[in-house]
Amino acid sequence: MDCQHVSYQYPHQNTGITDVTGTFPPGQVTTIIGPNGAGKSTLLKLLAHQLVAASGQITLAGKSVDQYTAKAFAQQVAMVTQHHQLYDDMTVSEVVQTGRLPYHGLLQAISPNEVVPFLKVTGLTQLAATHVQDLSGGQQQRVWLAAALAQEPTVLLLDEPTTYLDVHYQQDLMRQLRQLAATGITVIQVLHDINQAFRFSDWLWLIKQGRLIAQGQPEDLRQADLLADAFQTPIEIVDVPRLGPYIVQIPEA
Amino acid sequence: MKQHASWWYGGVIILLLVTIVIALMAGTVWLGPRQLSIALSDPGSQAFVTVFSLRVPRILSSLVCGGSLAVAGALFQAVFRNPIADPSILGISSAADFFKLGGAMLLPWLPGRAWVMALLGGFIALVILTSGRALADPYRLIIVGVALDATFVGLQRLLSSGATQVSHSTFNGLTWADATTLLILGVIGLVAALLVAPWANYLKLTDAALKNVGVPVKVIRWSLLLLGMYLATSVTAVVGAIPFVGIVVPNVARRLVGHDYQSVIPFSMLAGAWLMLAADTLGRTVIVPSEISAATMMAVIGGPFVIILLQRGRGRHGLSTR
Repeated sequence: MDCQHVSYQYPHQNTGITDVTGTFPPGQVTTIIGPNGAGKSTLLKLLAHQLVAASGQITLAGKSVDQYTAKAFAQQVAMVTQHHQLYDDMTVSEVVQTGRLPYHGLLQAISPNEVVPFLKVTGLTQLAATHVQDLSGGQQQRVWLAAALAQEPTVLLLDEPTTYLDVHYQQDLMRQLRQLAATGITVIQVLHDINQAFRFSDWLWLIKQGRLIAQGQPEDLRQADLLADAFQTPIEIVDVPRLGPYIVQIPEA
Repeated sequence: MKQHASWWYGGVIILLLVTIVIALMAGTVWLGPRQLSIALSDPGSQAFVTVFSLRVPRILSSLVCGGSLAVAGALFQAVFRNPIADPSILGISSAADFFKLGGAMLLPWLPGRAWVMALLGGFIALVILTSGRALADPYRLIIVGVALDATFVGLQRLLSSGATQVSHSTFNGLTWADATTLLILGVIGLVAALLVAPWANYLKLTDAALKNVGVPVKVIRWSLLLLGMYLATSVTAVVGAIPFVGIVVPNVARRLVGHDYQSVIPFSMLAGAWLMLAADTLGRTVIVPSEISAATMMAVIGGPFVIILLQRGRGRHGLSTR
């Protein structure tokens, strides 16, 4: 998946995305980082085709995303959003089954058996018949991940997937995403935590005010002045024993 | 499906059969089991005439109407993501009633007039209901719906003060022709509802989530709305507006058989049919030889139910009113 001169402007607002050109290496974890309001989520929505670029082109497997039907696109790209909502009771299995919709006619029945492998890979097999509302935040996050995986996507988009998770689950999820990337899925996520982004990504996109100001491997982007410029705050990189380089944002006095 | 769902299905079917037998026997003239068996076997008897020309069409009509209204309510609740949405409370039924009356006065020559006009009225109310911001806001929806309902009820009164034909919303005096019409319209709608039941489940997800899996949200939303409207206005066209069946039955169904619409819809169909028949049978027997209309019976039963439903608040099986 890649972007060619992609721009998007929200109506009546100054925020958006300006002339973004870059690529997401297939089968790797790419993380989009940048300060609040830089346009990270907007970019993700453009990639998910929830928003349509005003100019430029987003291509998927060599074809513009505009040329895909909704269904064909959903067979390629799955999105795990930040805010999940259900309007009524559903079981874990029922939610994950909706991930199979891109492969079915609207009146075709979806068999619960179809989602067994996706429940297994996310460790939800035992919880299949449980109501989603009765699960913890971390378990719910796994349900939505399982539903996205049920789409059998080649590209998996995640908007701040660690927001509602404690540290332990955050690391579990990051490891799981790496495993998924190893199976050939292109993982593209937005993360708030810079250190997590540097630690668990193969490729990084640094966004500032709607522009892509740097992209590359974590070691290439781990520069104090580059990050300080992007985040508009003094930054130091310190060496933590047994962990390695750690990015610290120094609060301004 | 919930664990005890099959028991509840069995229970409602038995209840339905028992009530049908009672409804065949009860009325101005009580027919005991013996007389009933004579009525069913001897076409020359007086009992036969009573049963087949009066009671059977009335029973069939109330069964179809109850099932249709309950399913229409379930469909509206799925689309509006609101447990008290229902064509009667949102003004669809009273709009249909008003147009039916208007049609009778202005277009008496129109073939299939009552049904065509009721459908048109229902559609217009539906467009008004969905054109603003009511779709996104459950409270606004109900308030707009109640205002629509009051408006059309008022208009109908305005129109009927000078007319001889006023709708009573009763099964009294329904003929075989009415029953056949209801049966045809109802069965088509109910079969369609069973087919599209999974769509009602999909609408438990947000529009954004549905788009992500390539589902045409507008198509399924409007299909379900039009189907619910069709079911409710078909009842209005023949019988008149009957309130609350569409709220009471699906909410009870959710408690008994779970929240999967593939279970809620068939169960509502059976339970709605039973409730309507029970209400009508009670209505025509308690103050013999006079009777209480089905709409009045349902208002008396349904009103308190909705108050309890909302006042007792959230809880999963009570279905939150988010």
